[in-house]
Amino acid sequence: MKLGILPKLLQNMFSKPMTVKFPHESIPIPDNYRGEHNYDIEKCISCGLCAKICPNRAIEMVDVSKEYKNKYPKKYPKIDLGKCCFCGLCEDICPKDSITLTKNVFLSTFDSSNVIKYPIPTDGNK
Amino acid sequence: MIKEMEPAPKGSEYDFYFGPAHPGSGNFGVKLKLEGEVVVSARADPGYLHRGFEKLMEYRTPLQNAVLSDRLCILEPLNWNLIHAEAVDELMGIDIPERAKYIRVIMAELSRIQSHIIWYGVFSKGVGFDTGFKLAFGYRDYIMDLFELITGGRVYPAGYICPGGVRRDFPKDTKKKILKVLDKMNKIIKLEELENPAMNARAKGVGILKLKDAIRLGATGPVIRGSGMNTDVRKEEPYEIYDRLDFEVPIRKEGDAYARYWIGIEEMKQSINIVKQALEELPDGEVIDSSLKKPKLTTKIPEGEVYVRNEISRGEAGIYMVSNGEVSPYRTKVRGPDFLHMIPVLEYLLKGVQIADVPAVYWSLNICPADMDR
Repeated sequence: MKLGILPKLLQNMFSKPMTVKFPHESIPIPDNYRGEHNYDIEKCISCGLCAKICPNRAIEMVDVSKEYKNKYPKKYPKIDLGKCCFCGLCEDICPKDSITLTKNVFLSTFDSSNVIKYPIPTDGNK
Repeated sequence: MIKEMEPAPKGSEYDFYFGPAHPGSGNFGVKLKLEGEVVVSARADPGYLHRGFEKLMEYRTPLQNAVLSDRLCILEPLNWNLIHAEAVDELMGIDIPERAKYIRVIMAELSRIQSHIIWYGVFSKGVGFDTGFKLAFGYRDYIMDLFELITGGRVYPAGYICPGGVRRDFPKDTKKKILKVLDKMNKIIKLEELENPAMNARAKGVGILKLKDAIRLGATGPVIRGSGMNTDVRKEEPYEIYDRLDFEVPIRKEGDAYARYWIGIEEMKQSINIVKQALEELPDGEVIDSSLKKPKLTTKIPEGEVYVRNEISRGEAGIYMVSNGEVSPYRTKVRGPDFLHMIPVLEYLLKGVQIADVPAVYWSLNICPADMDR
């Protein structure tokens, strides 16, 4: 039996593991990560560029619900995260920085209606 | 040593499917005709992963195509980004900023290292060396962390290398972090180089591809270099800044699976060398051409046609793009290296091998079903 393996074995016994214990700790996510969208309706000018550049057609310009119709009369982006490929082109093209991608990566859900982000969350549409 | 087997009785031929939905094959199938345990003939069965990129690209703007070009090969999206960006750059006649050229090369080479690590991993799995597979995927994650930091996504950079340059500049301290990861890569190379009984027994003398046949069947990249031909697009037709860098092209004459495995290791060493050189000379300045800095929907590609070829980790890849002056290209033809490796070369190599050697031969070609089916 070769004994050349022994130093390596001892080294491995006392070295840190390559993985982390995920739910308790996780590797830090960098600031410019392309995760869930953050949409600010106050900054939005309803130009519709985000809907036009989206390669997966995940963004659709829609009316807001009746109760907000007076305040926001134009069309605003509805983002379908199920179709989104998180390329960040909507963030880049937005002239007013209304859409930004955040660090949130925990997007798995059991409720399929959660994946659609409406411009304004109301009781009718979350 | 395995004893020579007795030939199977006549009429005992049977069909055997290798893939397409099997961890040992990826999303690609091979129909094997076997006699006993020996493969009599093999027929590749492509199409399981076909997504129609060439047609999709005709309806999208160059920036959307850059995002789409990630998906051409899951294992090395940045290299495909680069080819697509170069094709559009050449049609538009853009001279991209110097810093962008360096960043492009650094990212392409990191992607090559990452792809070669996966190659080592799946090849180890193919020859029954499971530790190699786990080591490889563990070390690959260090590079994934770098991609996450720089491009904003672990696997898909989403068109990080886009027409005109790159989409984002390096964040702070990236240089230090890259050098740190490269040290880790040296570690896995050392592990790969260790004398390994599994590799010796299962890969040596298996799937021998002679140079004459390699040329006839259209092999490129590590496959043909493993058969003894000195060819590399980075040397022959330097793109970006490769003419200013000092690196070697590893060659081995044996042409078997073991030789190709060694080519992979040597190429990783060269890539580390290239990244270090490029990092040292990295100039300051803009990272994207000023006309394309803000994405526009109306940027038209001037009329013309172009063929760009690059050396990606699997071999020679190219994009032929025709434009008639519209926003989207009129036609895009993608030439992936794996189409020829996975159909003619694989069918040729599988003839006459033992069934247990099929995964070893298959993975030694550094294949990617996504790139082949497109």
